[in-house]
Amino acid sequence: MLTLDRVQVSFGGVTALRNVTLGVAEGETVGLVGPNGAGKTTLFNVISGVVHPVAGSLSFRGKPLLKEPEWKRARLGIGRSFQIPRPLHHCTVRENLIVAQRFGAGKADPTRIDEILDLLKLAHKADRDAVTELALTEHKALEVGKALATDPALLLLDEVLAGLETAGKRAFMQTLGAVRDRFNLAMIVIEHDIPTISTLCPRVAVLNFGELIADGTPDAVFRDAEVIRSYTGEAVA
Amino acid sequence: MNPRILVPVLVAAYLVVPLAFQSNGYLLGLIVAALTIAGIAVAWALLGNLGGMVSFGHAAFFGVGSYVSAVLTMKAGAPVFVGLLMGGVGAAIASVATMPALRLKGPYFALAILAYAHIFQILAVQMESVTGGAGGLLSIPRFPTVLGIDFGSKLGGYFLIVTIVILAALAYDAIRRSTWGLALKAMHDSELATRVVGVPSTHLKAVMLVVSAFITGVVGAFNAHFINFLEPDYAFSGSWTVLPIAAAIFGGYRTVWGPVLGALVIYLFDQLLFKEVLPHGHQLVLGALMAGMVLWSPGGLVPVLVRRKGGRAHAHA
Amino acid sequence: MLELTLQALFSGLLAGGYYATVAVGLALVFGTMRVINLAHGELVLLAAYIAYAGESRYGLNPVLCIPFALVVVSASAAIVYALLSRIEQDREMNSLILTFGLGVILTNLILMTWAADIHSTTNAWMLDSFIVADTLFAMRSEVVFFVAGLALMAAVHLWLSRSWQGRAVRALSSNRSAATLMGVDPRRTEVLSFLVAGALSTFAGIAIYTGKTIYPALGHVMTVKAFIITVLAGMGSIPGVLIGAVMIGVIESFTVTFAAASLQELAGMVLFLVVLFVAPSGLFGGKKALPR
Repeated sequence: MLTLDRVQVSFGGVTALRNVTLGVAEGETVGLVGPNGAGKTTLFNVISGVVHPVAGSLSFRGKPLLKEPEWKRARLGIGRSFQIPRPLHHCTVRENLIVAQRFGAGKADPTRIDEILDLLKLAHKADRDAVTELALTEHKALEVGKALATDPALLLLDEVLAGLETAGKRAFMQTLGAVRDRFNLAMIVIEHDIPTISTLCPRVAVLNFGELIADGTPDAVFRDAEVIRSYTGEAVA
Repeated sequence: MNPRILVPVLVAAYLVVPLAFQSNGYLLGLIVAALTIAGIAVAWALLGNLGGMVSFGHAAFFGVGSYVSAVLTMKAGAPVFVGLLMGGVGAAIASVATMPALRLKGPYFALAILAYAHIFQILAVQMESVTGGAGGLLSIPRFPTVLGIDFGSKLGGYFLIVTIVILAALAYDAIRRSTWGLALKAMHDSELATRVVGVPSTHLKAVMLVVSAFITGVVGAFNAHFINFLEPDYAFSGSWTVLPIAAAIFGGYRTVWGPVLGALVIYLFDQLLFKEVLPHGHQLVLGALMAGMVLWSPGGLVPVLVRRKGGRAHAHA
Repeated sequence: MLELTLQALFSGLLAGGYYATVAVGLALVFGTMRVINLAHGELVLLAAYIAYAGESRYGLNPVLCIPFALVVVSASAAIVYALLSRIEQDREMNSLILTFGLGVILTNLILMTWAADIHSTTNAWMLDSFIVADTLFAMRSEVVFFVAGLALMAAVHLWLSRSWQGRAVRALSSNRSAATLMGVDPRRTEVLSFLVAGALSTFAGIAIYTGKTIYPALGHVMTVKAFIITVLAGMGSIPGVLIGAVMIGVIESFTVTFAAASLQELAGMVLFLVVLFVAPSGLFGGKKALPR
């Protein structure tokens, strides 16, 4: 469904992503891990169109993506949540979803919006301002909700669990699982919490210093020597 | 549109004012002029509030609309009402030329439009065979009599402009209340977030620009046929930019009727009072009003009035 | 033909000198406050008219009017700053409207006090010609103020790069939160940038009075011109501003010489649009040149 081929991203003198080749199949859940600064969010930025690679190619369901602006990619089925929540300003929670649905999915389906609100446990805050009246968990939930409202086929989740305590994490994880099953989504999940990732994702890819150093089952990946070294800090050759 | 506001407005516009002023040509003329400003003010507010772009060059669209309509009716024999619409279309097309400026932020956009106003003005002077050059155009056709109503008269002209302004205000309101309005509102401070959920933000801004230009162009065309005379310095005069901005700010550009109210108050006060007291520097009061409003009531006059009446003042569109 | 071209180049170069001082002032304020002061040109105008009043009423040499003009313009700049800092929401738009309104007030005050007629210095020494290489002609005032303008720009450049306050200005411009966290007092630095801008504007006002003609609408014209120059230069560098200013001066000069005097402002406008769309970071700009 999604193919990245030898993607390279540079910002001035810094190479954030180098030679990244990755494929995600329909309905597949892939975890994306790596130390801080490895380039995980940059990868999401490339896929969603916020950042442009200097080399390499990108396609989604056979369609080349590089020339498409962010909003076209959203309409094609790529939903994105941001690590630091970016709600739509001056709008209520419900209005956030209405806009996302109207423009990202091209329809107005209030039932679906209610369903999303219920799934994400946001129904009680539906008519509150999305910027000023939400707690952290709710902000994170809205990030997922906005992306869901666009009727995506692929969901990019950027550290949605960060900042939550263990019980909260477990609860949200179950929500994510329910979301995935209900809407038949492919997902790429960036997380730091390894047990979580191992439970949620049958496949994990590891980025380090902009390069993909491992890609396989959680068991295999987390026993890989190079992966362990990248986390424990020993110099990588 | 809240019927509690719309109905009194319609009654005032189509009944009260005509009955009260039909015999006073001078005041009626002032009201028409004030409404011309109001029309531009609504268009400016639409662009500023929904599009998020402050323009210092709306005179460009006003002038283009005036000339397009005048030339089409005089040289191509088009009926005046068609010319009116074409004036709007002409200004809309001119706004397409300004679209590269859309990717600019704030003051850059404001001044880019100003540059366009200057350029169009020079073009009007240079294209002498078409526009009559610096001397301008005289005897621009008046509005005809339709269904027994002489739209060429002062009263007829009044009915025309008040209808144009009301339609513009209704359009502004309709957009504001739609999902488009939501997206536009969100785009101000969270443009990336809107783009990532599928909003073509630049396209939406472009549409607002075209709509704003169209309205301004129609108003410009109206003015040309109402006063039957046009020349570049007048058609592209900075006053067609400054007065509507002052009106919109004073009345409250985030509201629909604020710019209209502001235009009526400011223009009438300016012509009837300030001009008498300060014949040379009366625009000074406009400057003071703009500065004062920004400092003390950035929302303008209308929110203050609404709050007084116990209603809920909307801080944002 | 060649002589005409060289003359046009020369005149344009000289004009560029003081255009640059106006542009630098505008850029300084924009850097520290992220606000375009649309009343900036009116400060220049104020200084110019003070020189006019000084000369016509009291027979003073325009240069002697500089101290008084400096005081008045600095006070005005401080007032603009005070009002600007009272804006709370929607800073970008509201500051544009506020300074626009203040500019209108100033222009009209000047209009009321001195009427719309154009004025220029009557000082013989200033008007006297200064001939270069037997062919290029300028007024003494143009040359004097060009040289003084260069010196002033060099001084500001040095100040920005060497002095503590200058560094504070640059720090605040490049990263406001980091700068304040490191102890830079934003208010003091902002006021400082306004005052320096005021001083530069005063200089430019006297220069215009002695070298060209003044009229009330000039304020608006100067603001727009300064803005165009900062766009050309990319708001990052003082040398860039100087080059941009000279470009505008030369283009205007060529337009007036070879086309028509009425098209003078248009030349700058067209150049502005061209640069805006072709090279938005300015011709010499740094990375943060134009917010997109």
